[in-house]
Amino acid sequence: MTELLTRLIRKPQGFVGLSLLALVALACLFGPALAPYAPEKINFLGRFRAPGWQNWLGADQFGRDIFSRLMVGARSTVPMALIATFAGSAVGAIIGVGSAYFGGRADEAIMRTNDAVMAIPGLLMALLLVSTLGNGAGNAAIAIAIAFAPGMARVTRSVALNVRNQDYVKAAIARGEGALWIIFREMLPNVMAPIVIESTIRVSFAVMLFATLSFLGVGAQPPASEWGLMVADARQYMYQAPWALIAPSVAIAVAAIAFNLIGDGLRDALNPKDER
Amino acid sequence: MTAALSIRNYSLDYVTSAGPVRVLHDISLEIAPGEVLGLVGESGSGKSSLAWALMRHLPANAREVEGSLQLGNVDLQRLGPRELTRIRGRRLGMVFQDPSTSLNPTLAIGSQITEALIRHRDLKPRDADALAIELLGHVDLNNPAAIMRRYPHEISGGEKQRVVIATAFGCRPDVILFDEPTTALDVITGARILELFARLRQETGVAALYISHDLALVTRVADRVAVLKRGRLVEQAPAAEIFRAPRHSDTQALVAAVPRPEHRLVHDSPGDDVLLTASDIEVHYGNPGLFRRAPPAATKKIGLNVRAGEILGLVGESGSGKSSMARALTGLAHFSGRISFDNQVIHGARDMNAAYRRDVQIVFQHPDSSLNPRHRIDEILSRPLKLYGGSLPDIPRLLDQVRLPSSYAGRWPHQLSGGEKQRVAIARAFAARPKLVICDEITAPLDVSVQAQIIELLLALRAETGTAFVFITHDLNLIRQIAHRIGVMRRGEMVDLLPVEDFDANHIHSYTRELMAASPVPVG
Repeated sequence: MTELLTRLIRKPQGFVGLSLLALVALACLFGPALAPYAPEKINFLGRFRAPGWQNWLGADQFGRDIFSRLMVGARSTVPMALIATFAGSAVGAIIGVGSAYFGGRADEAIMRTNDAVMAIPGLLMALLLVSTLGNGAGNAAIAIAIAFAPGMARVTRSVALNVRNQDYVKAAIARGEGALWIIFREMLPNVMAPIVIESTIRVSFAVMLFATLSFLGVGAQPPASEWGLMVADARQYMYQAPWALIAPSVAIAVAAIAFNLIGDGLRDALNPKDER
Repeated sequence: MTAALSIRNYSLDYVTSAGPVRVLHDISLEIAPGEVLGLVGESGSGKSSLAWALMRHLPANAREVEGSLQLGNVDLQRLGPRELTRIRGRRLGMVFQDPSTSLNPTLAIGSQITEALIRHRDLKPRDADALAIELLGHVDLNNPAAIMRRYPHEISGGEKQRVVIATAFGCRPDVILFDEPTTALDVITGARILELFARLRQETGVAALYISHDLALVTRVADRVAVLKRGRLVEQAPAAEIFRAPRHSDTQALVAAVPRPEHRLVHDSPGDDVLLTASDIEVHYGNPGLFRRAPPAATKKIGLNVRAGEILGLVGESGSGKSSMARALTGLAHFSGRISFDNQVIHGARDMNAAYRRDVQIVFQHPDSSLNPRHRIDEILSRPLKLYGGSLPDIPRLLDQVRLPSSYAGRWPHQLSGGEKQRVAIARAFAARPKLVICDEITAPLDVSVQAQIIELLLALRAETGTAFVFITHDLNLIRQIAHRIGVMRRGEMVDLLPVEDFDANHIHSYTRELMAASPVPVG
């Protein structure tokens, strides 16, 4: 594990990604403590205050400090994206490995259903689900997880098909192991590397998708300081106070880029052929 | 007279994260014009590294420490990229191990040969075409003009290797490097390639470096043999002598490990009770789809029986259906037909109950893929114990049974060598206390000396437990050392099933005779 970390840091994209992620993690863990103001403290005298010594990143239409809102909002954006991706990846991975293991008609049935679900664009799918389940951050996370699962299933299946042909899986079948043991203990650990890489990259999509849902008004609800919601709120005052729009947008971009770079770095670090 | 190729005091390092690793120590070799030098060594002995050093195509982390490489009077190490392209192919040819990857799949055979001829012999396209057809005819390919228009996937592996050899010889190089050119081919195809090589050599008088792990084969094609062991040259001698009077202890070990059919390792005879009878086995791969028919069966109604404690050999070329039989007997492939074992009759994989699965175990060909890389050795061995009854403290005993120290229980598969992994796979099979173990080419990827150790281990286990074996292999010499009866398979059919003593008799199938003629019997 430590070896993997050193290999990751040695790559430029891994190093930059990890540093950015450290910033995001700092905001998630200690955000409320570090924020100079309460996130929902309204200050009518300080409406649309430009960035300066009082409000480092400026203030919004209610005079709320944007920096404080970003720090606190990190908690409702990034962990939600992580949970959604994790759930989606887990479901997708199990479907993919199971489909590869059973093969034949079961594989056809599972994968064609999967294709049908994948044919619906991710955002549209998430919107559809949220409008069925009802608005709210939790439902948005579930929607993102479901939207991600088919893609993960497809990626995992292609890797699992190779693993399925390995002799240790055949040995397990020949000795009469059950399907659950073979799927979870023999096959799944050997397809983990591509799953980890794929889901790290997908976290960045989840951050953006989550922000998009909040922006469209079906994710987190006001007065939460979720980043996408902050962008949505600031949109009407774009000409008066562009900083209110720019700051959360940059935060979303930084989080997305961080996970994307780490995913790239992991792909190199987990590749055993690169051991030099 | 200057040597065609001379290597002097050559040492090579690979730089790894753990520091430099020396792969070639102070190698000195000379090949006279027209001479064939065989280079023999186990895997990891550095023989391919030497070939790549000569072709000036070393990986980026290679460091040449000292020594010189001379082709005639050209110093290979001093050549720049442009000069190299004039040497490669034109003066120094190479034939690779795997013909299926050495030809470009998207180009027709003709254009791949003529490209080399146009570049290296400065021919006009029309002349190159004519010469290419002549060359292909010269390597005994039927209808060379038609082959010129085909793509690599449209001809067989042996034909591909002939095309590669025709190209290499066609450029009239001084020296050709052969890197295990018959290893990827079937025994009979390989033997024909060797005949071709001997003929072309006589006609052209080219010098060659012939690299192989197979000492018996090298002594047949080479004038002199050099033995490489862990990057050191341990012995050089004329081919006829090295087998009869190996001087160095490593060479003696190599010679001793070469299987000789007349040297039987099993002396008892099996009991009379029939353990397993399979009849009319047809193995099917793939189901019929909506719009396509099922592919033809891989085996055609094969029958065989195994007696208690017997070693039954199955030999045949790749694609002959011998591995399909192993899969059918272990329920890994769909089959039709009947297996009777221990008073139970089995018609398909579903009929195989826990008792059958315990009694019939399989060991696979590739040790790297038969152990789950994410499980430790003790977990790998604990599964059969849990499934078939047995206690975990048995693991050290299982490891001891296959001559591995009990400390290996905590190791990961990648920390073990190929032979050690195969021992773990054998221990896993024997953990179930089976009555029949199916060995599917288990020694094929191993070096000759490791192969000899594994065979010795299997025979010791058999003496201990009385287990019967179905031993699948393509090495007729090896199986004639250990089997009681041998089945010869070709294209899904069993052409012969004979007691091993009858192999010298006259009533064997013509294919079996061909196979015996193609199996290189050691010289001397």
